[in-house]
Amino acid sequence: MPQPIISLEGIHKYYGEVEPRLHVLKGIHLDVTQGEFVSIMGTSGSGKSTLLNLLGCLDVPTEGSYLLGGKDVSQQSDDELSRIRNEDIGFIFQSFQLIPQLTVLENVQVPLLYGESSIREKEEHCRSILDSVGLSHRLSHRPSQLSGGECQRVAIARSLVNDPLILLADEPTGNLDSKTGQEVLELMDSLHGDGRTIIMITHDQEVALRAQRQVRIHDGLVIEEAS
Amino acid sequence: MISRKKKELLRMGLQSLLGYPMRTVLTMLGVVFGVGSVIAMLALGAGAEKELLQEIGRLGIQNIIINSVEPDQPENNSSSGSSSRRGWINYYGLKFKDHRQIVETIPGIERVLPVHLSKKKAWNGSRWVESTLFAVEPDYFEVFGLEIASGRALSPQDEEDLARVCVVRSGLLQELGIYEDPIGYVLTIEDQKFTIVGVLSEDRFQGYAQKALVADARSSEIYIPYQTVLKRQGTRSFSGSAGSWEATDVELNQIVVEVENLDQVILTSRTIENLLSRNHPEKDYEMIVPLEVLAQRRKTQQVFNIALVAIASISLLVGGIGIANIMLATVTERTREIGVRRALGAQKRHIIAQFLTETTTISILGGVLGIFLGFGLVQILVIFTGWTAVITPISIMVALTISVAVGITSGIYPARRAAALDPISALRHQ
Repeated sequence: MPQPIISLEGIHKYYGEVEPRLHVLKGIHLDVTQGEFVSIMGTSGSGKSTLLNLLGCLDVPTEGSYLLGGKDVSQQSDDELSRIRNEDIGFIFQSFQLIPQLTVLENVQVPLLYGESSIREKEEHCRSILDSVGLSHRLSHRPSQLSGGECQRVAIARSLVNDPLILLADEPTGNLDSKTGQEVLELMDSLHGDGRTIIMITHDQEVALRAQRQVRIHDGLVIEEAS
Repeated sequence: MISRKKKELLRMGLQSLLGYPMRTVLTMLGVVFGVGSVIAMLALGAGAEKELLQEIGRLGIQNIIINSVEPDQPENNSSSGSSSRRGWINYYGLKFKDHRQIVETIPGIERVLPVHLSKKKAWNGSRWVESTLFAVEPDYFEVFGLEIASGRALSPQDEEDLARVCVVRSGLLQELGIYEDPIGYVLTIEDQKFTIVGVLSEDRFQGYAQKALVADARSSEIYIPYQTVLKRQGTRSFSGSAGSWEATDVELNQIVVEVENLDQVILTSRTIENLLSRNHPEKDYEMIVPLEVLAQRRKTQQVFNIALVAIASISLLVGGIGIANIMLATVTERTREIGVRRALGAQKRHIIAQFLTETTTISILGGVLGIFLGFGLVQILVIFTGWTAVITPISIMVALTISVAVGITSGIYPARRAAALDPISALRHQ
């Protein structure tokens, strides 16, 4: 059994300072191993977004431990969490979240801005990633000039730039029509095929089934696992 | 390596500005006008100070000038009046005795120049000009920096010979209709003939300096050797019209004291004041200490300058508030961008740096444009008002420093607001 790349142990998340606090995650246990493609499903209010925020180190759990790549990241400083997000996590958002005034290439370079390596050194790397998602002809376009599917592919390219430990996709097809949605999912399949660890949050049963393993969240607890 | 990283961050910051060129330019305008007016005001202040220096500096800051002043006297009350009125002759002012005492008793003095003035008509054939005769020693020219345009200045030899020679201004020559080479030309002053030996340049004393030296507003001063006037004409002068005449006898109209050391000027002036006040209970003289006048005027000018710059700074302040205002709006508008950057690994300091880069760039660019605007404003003011204006390197430094400061202070609050945003809610922001 390989060492899990993600290991959640008894994760609780409360919101609010005063009682009664809102208890959103009520003791989550979840292990994800290297190279897995996991989908997390749940209705709205089930706690899946909160779980995604914790997994993405945008937030820290109130209780419990979160090991990412063997390192406890559940109680880190804001700067340290920023560094972890930069190096170890690739985000793919439902609404793409590209920066409108930057070109495709510049958008992909944004994570480099906050890391160790310089943009110039990685310029070729960025171009080849964009090439691999089929956008080498769009380098100097702005997001407003692209279709939704293309935007999402830029976002995927951006998530890969720092070669992260995990890819976190939040409803990656939510803003796309079914055809382009399929294309994006195929792209994710191929990334999985390349050995990437992907965690995808969705409420869509059909999309969830693309993953190798499905996790269902209900009322702050993992209630069902299937693979 | 680190500097390259910073360069990249800087470039990214600038891209946002280029993304909204119109807004960037409009935001910049406040700083442009602010800096422009600060530059213009500083230039006018420096110009006024330069003028002051030139005007009063011409008097020589190591000099003390003492002028005779006719004391106020009730017109028809001569019997109860003072002893200085004997018969029809009006005696007042500085005496030879004063000159002698200054020379003999005041220490630390380089030279003491006596000056006697009289109003005389200068004739050339049938043309005449009412002129002011300055009976001066040769050093007078050097002490006040009077430049000889042609010929020579008065010399010690002229004094010895009681020579009937004079130095004039070219303006006088024109008024008298002398157009050929004036050197060697003979003028008739009253009933005596004087040969012109030198012509002064038309560089005039102005404003305060002119008043202090009792110089003529026109060009009709004639400089004659001191001894010539004293020995040949005496110090008494008559003026009369329509049957009545009046005589005045002022031995010396002016005494110019040149002090050896600059730091002794004020002290020496006090000592001379003591001496003169004993000799002249009626105070029929005035003392002018250019150094003191300069210091006072400078002080006034500086207060004025500060007031000018303070007023100009208000527009700079308004410019800064403009930047802060736009940046706050930008933070709200770009909340999602901030969230994305945070999610992609930007630390709070990166966000702060980005916004500060933007505001500082706006304000520095605005500052540079403002300097150009200031140059333009100054040119226009100089052309339309004739004022003197000097743009000093210091004022440019001040303007640039202020604009950087404006950029940073106006950016800091919006930048901190941006950095303090919670990445999760920033990402969800619509």
